[in-house]
Amino acid sequence: MSTEAPTTPAPHHLGRRLRIGDLGLRTLTAAAALLAILTIGLLVWEVLRGAHESISTFGLGFLTSTDWNAVTNVFGARYLLEGTLVTSFFALVIAVPLSIAIGLFLSELAPKALRAPVGMLVELLAAIPSVVLGLWGIIVLGPFISTHIEPWLDDHLGFIPLFSGYASNVGVLPACLILTIMVVPIVSSISRELFNSVPADLKQGALALGATRWEMVRQVAIPQVSAGLVAATMLGFARAVGEAIAVAQVIGAHNASPFGSLFKPAGTLASWIATQFSGSATSLQRSSLYYLALILLTISLVTNVAAQLIVRRIQKRMGVRV
Amino acid sequence: MSAAASSTSPFEATPRARRRKLVGRLMEAVCTLAALLAVVVLALVIYAVLRRGLPVLSWSFLTEVPTVDAFGNTSGGIANSIVGTLIITGIATLISVPIGVLIAIFNAEFAPARVANGIRLLLNVLAGVPTIVIGVFIFGLLVVGHGYSAYAASVALSIVMVPIIARSVEEVLATVPGHLREGSLALGATRAKTVVSVILPTATGGIVTATILAVARAAGETAPILFTSSIFANAMSTDPSKAMASLPMTIYLDSQQPSVTAQQQAWAAALVLMALVLLASIAGRLLSLRSRRRIEQSR
Amino acid sequence: MPKLKWLIVPLAVAAVAAGCGGSSSSSSSSSSTGGAGTSSADNSVLVGAGSTFVAPLVAQWEAAYLKTPAAVTITYGAVGSGGGVDAITARSVDFGASDAPLTSDQATACKGCVQIPWALGATTVDYNVQGAPNNLKLTGKVLADIFLGKITSWNDPAIKALNPGASLPATHITPIYRSDGSGTSFVFTDYLSSVDPEWASKVGTSTQPTFPTGTGAEHSSGVIAAMQATNGGITYAETSYIAADSLDYALIQNAAGQYPKPTNGAVLAATTTGTKRPDGTIKLVNPPAANAKAYPLASYTYVIVPKSSPKAATLRAFLNYAVGPTGQAFGPPIGYPALPSSVVAQAKTLIAEIK
Repeated sequence: MSTEAPTTPAPHHLGRRLRIGDLGLRTLTAAAALLAILTIGLLVWEVLRGAHESISTFGLGFLTSTDWNAVTNVFGARYLLEGTLVTSFFALVIAVPLSIAIGLFLSELAPKALRAPVGMLVELLAAIPSVVLGLWGIIVLGPFISTHIEPWLDDHLGFIPLFSGYASNVGVLPACLILTIMVVPIVSSISRELFNSVPADLKQGALALGATRWEMVRQVAIPQVSAGLVAATMLGFARAVGEAIAVAQVIGAHNASPFGSLFKPAGTLASWIATQFSGSATSLQRSSLYYLALILLTISLVTNVAAQLIVRRIQKRMGVRV
Repeated sequence: MSAAASSTSPFEATPRARRRKLVGRLMEAVCTLAALLAVVVLALVIYAVLRRGLPVLSWSFLTEVPTVDAFGNTSGGIANSIVGTLIITGIATLISVPIGVLIAIFNAEFAPARVANGIRLLLNVLAGVPTIVIGVFIFGLLVVGHGYSAYAASVALSIVMVPIIARSVEEVLATVPGHLREGSLALGATRAKTVVSVILPTATGGIVTATILAVARAAGETAPILFTSSIFANAMSTDPSKAMASLPMTIYLDSQQPSVTAQQQAWAAALVLMALVLLASIAGRLLSLRSRRRIEQSR
Repeated sequence: MPKLKWLIVPLAVAAVAAGCGGSSSSSSSSSSTGGAGTSSADNSVLVGAGSTFVAPLVAQWEAAYLKTPAAVTITYGAVGSGGGVDAITARSVDFGASDAPLTSDQATACKGCVQIPWALGATTVDYNVQGAPNNLKLTGKVLADIFLGKITSWNDPAIKALNPGASLPATHITPIYRSDGSGTSFVFTDYLSSVDPEWASKVGTSTQPTFPTGTGAEHSSGVIAAMQATNGGITYAETSYIAADSLDYALIQNAAGQYPKPTNGAVLAATTTGTKRPDGTIKLVNPPAANAKAYPLASYTYVIVPKSSPKAATLRAFLNYAVGPTGQAFGPPIGYPALPSSVVAQAKTLIAEIK
C-alpha cells in the first residue's frame, strides 16, 4: 500500500514516524468500524440470548399462537404480528400514493421557488419526535377520530366489519394514522430524489411527443423509478414496523386480533415490548418479550437489507446516488 | 379536425384531448393537495403544541423542578428534564462523533471498496434497527446489575447517532475536492497527516452539520431511554451515573396522566423538545445546503 | 490479502473488549449484590421503585423524612409493581414496592429478598358514565361479567336489578385495565377469582392477567386518564384517586351482602379476617360473610428489599420510620389506614433481618 508515496524521497529519519502515524490512524479508524460491526453482532446475540428460553419452549409455534397469558405461562405472538402488519400496511396503503404524489409535486409540479421550502416542511414531519406525535394522538387525534370519524365510518361503511363497532379514542385506527404521518416524509423525500433523477431528455422527449405532464409521469417517470419506489416503500414499512412509543400511546394495549374492527384496541410487536417489558411476572414472559424483539429485528433487518440491495442495484445501473 | 383551429395544438379540439388534459389537470391538483395535506398536518401538530404548551411556558417553568402532590399529580416545572436531555444527548454526542467520524474516514480513505460497501450496508442496518430493540439490548448489557443511569441512556442514543454521523461525514469527505488530497500527498504528507490536516478541516462544516442532524434525531428518542433512565427523581440531577429525567420520558409519562396540570406539563415539555429538535433540524439542513454549495464552488 | 493485516491489531483489541463486555452481561441472572450503581454506599439517598398504589403515601414520606435528623433523600419511581420487582431484582434500586406477592420465579431471581408489609389500602372500581349516578352498586359476579365482556351495556338488566331507580343510559361499557405489571391488577383479579369461578378458570390471578376485552393503559394514572376520556369506561385503582380526580366509584357487595364504602374503617375491618399465604403475605380480598362491615377489595402493599444490602442501616431506619407511628400517621387522611399492630410487629421483625 505504498503506492501513494511521493516521488520525492522522504527524509529517512521521518520514514518510521510517517509509517507509525499512518498505522495509528488506520488502526484507529478500522477499530471504529469494527466497533460498529461488533455492536450489531452483540445486539443480535443479546436478543437471541434473552429469547432463548421462549424459543426453546414454544419454537416457531410462537408465531401462530394467540395466547398471551402470564397466569398459565403461555405466550404467543400472532395477534401482535397481525397488529404490526395491519397497522403498517394500512399506513403504507395511504402513505405511499400520498408520498408519490408529494414527490411529484416537489420535483415536477411545484413552482421552482416553492420546491425547497415545501420540501423542507414535509421533511420536518419526520423530525417531530414520536412521543410528541403520540401525545397529539392521545389528546387531539384520538378524541377527534372517536367523535367524528369512527361514527361516520360505522354509519357509511359499517357493513364491512373492519369499519364497524363502538367508537373509541384508542385503537388500531389512530395508530394507523400516526404511522402514516411518520411514513410519508420518508417515502416522499426518496420519491422526490428519484423523480429528480429521471434523465431530463426522457421527460422532455415524452412532452415533445404531446403527452400531458401527468401522462409523462405515468408512462415515463414512474416506470423509470419503480424499483426505487419499491425500495422507498420498504424503508417506510421498516419505519412503521419499528415504531413503539407513539403506537403504545394510542393503540390501547390489548392482545386481540386487529381484523375484527379497526376501532378496537390491539397491540403491535414494538408497542407490546414497550408496555410489558418492565415487570414480567415470569422469566418465560420476559423471554417471550425478547422473542418479540427478535421477530421485530428480523422483519426490520430483512426489509432494510432488501431495500438497500435494490437501491444498490439502481445506483449501479444509473450511476446516481439516491 | 379543422386545420384552421385557432389553438396552437392541432389536438386540442378533440374531446379525447380535452379529457386527457382534464385528467392531467386533475392529477396535478391531487398532487398539490397531497403536498398541502402534509403541510396541513404538520401545521396542526405544531399548532396543537403551541396552543396548549405556550400558556404554560414561563421562566419559572423552565427553571423549576416538578413537584408531585399527595395524589401523584405533577405540577411545577421541567428544569430537570431539560438538563437531563442536554446531558444525556451531550454525552451521546461525545461518544458518537469521534466514532462516526473515524468510521467515515475508514470508509473514505483506507477501506478497500468491498469492505467499505459492507460497512455502509451494516451502518444502514444499524440505522434501521428499531430503537426499542436498542433499548432492550442496552438494558441487558448495561442496566442489569448496574442500575439505571444516564450513561446507559447515552450509549443507547449513540448507537442511534453513529450511523447518521458516519454516513453524512462519509458523503462530505467524498465531496472534498480531489486536488486538495492529491496536492497534500504530492507534498510528502502521509495519508494520516493529509486526513488530519487537510481533509478534516475542509469537512468540518459537514461534520458539524451531521452532528446537529444526529442530535436532532437522538434528542427526541424515547424508547432507548425507557429502558435505561426511566426511574428518576423530581430533583435536579447532574450525575450521569444515576438515572436522569429527560424531556421525552417526561412527555411520555405525563401524556398518560389524568390531571390537567400533568397534561399541560406534557405539552409544554413537547414544545421545548420540538423547538430544540425542529430548530436543530432546520439549522442542520440549511448548513448542509450551504456547505455543499461552498465545496462545489471550490472545485 | 495484505490489506487485511491492518485489521489484526484492532480485531485483537475488540476481542478483548467483547470478552469483558460479554462477561458482565452474562452475569445478569446472577446479579452481584454489590454491583448496583445506585447503592454505592451513598447513605444520604435511597432509591426505590414500584407500586403506584402506594406512591401517594411514599410521596408524603419523601417530604417528611428529609426533614428528620436522618435527612435521607428518598427517590421513588411509580413504575408499577412489576417494574419495581424488576428494578430490585436487578439491584438498580435500593428498595422495590409491590402490592402483589413475588411469584416463585421472581423470588428466585431476586435472590434473598424479603417482602415487608408497609401500608394498607383499598382498590376501588371507578367509572365514567354520563347520565349515571355515583355509587352504583355492583356484585362481584356482575363485576366479573363486565370485565369478561358478558355484560356490555350500562343498562344491562343485571346492573339495573342491583340499582333500582337509578337512571342507567344505554352506553357501551369499556373495561379499562392495567397493561403493565400491576399489583393493583393482582388484587383486583384475586378478588374476582375468589368470587367468580368462571373468572378463576378463564383469567385467573396475576399482575399481568389477560383481560378478555377492553383497553389497556399503563400505571394507575394511565387507566384513570383513559377512563376519564371514555364515556362508559370502568376501571380499578387505589382509593386516593377518587378524591384527587373527583371520580365516580362503585359500591361492591361484600360476602355479607352489604355495600360498604372504602373508608378507613371498612378497610381495617377486612384486616381482621386476613388469610396468610405460604410466603407470608396476607390476603385480604373477599372477607367472609361474618365480617359484615369489611370492604371486599382491601390489600396490604409490600416493600421488597434484599436481605443483604450495602445501605442496610439506612434502609432499616427508613422502613422502621415508615411502619412506625410517625410514618403511618400520614396514611389515614389519604386513604391508607394505619397498619394493625400485629402486622407492624411482623414488619419490624422482617426489617431487622436486613443486614
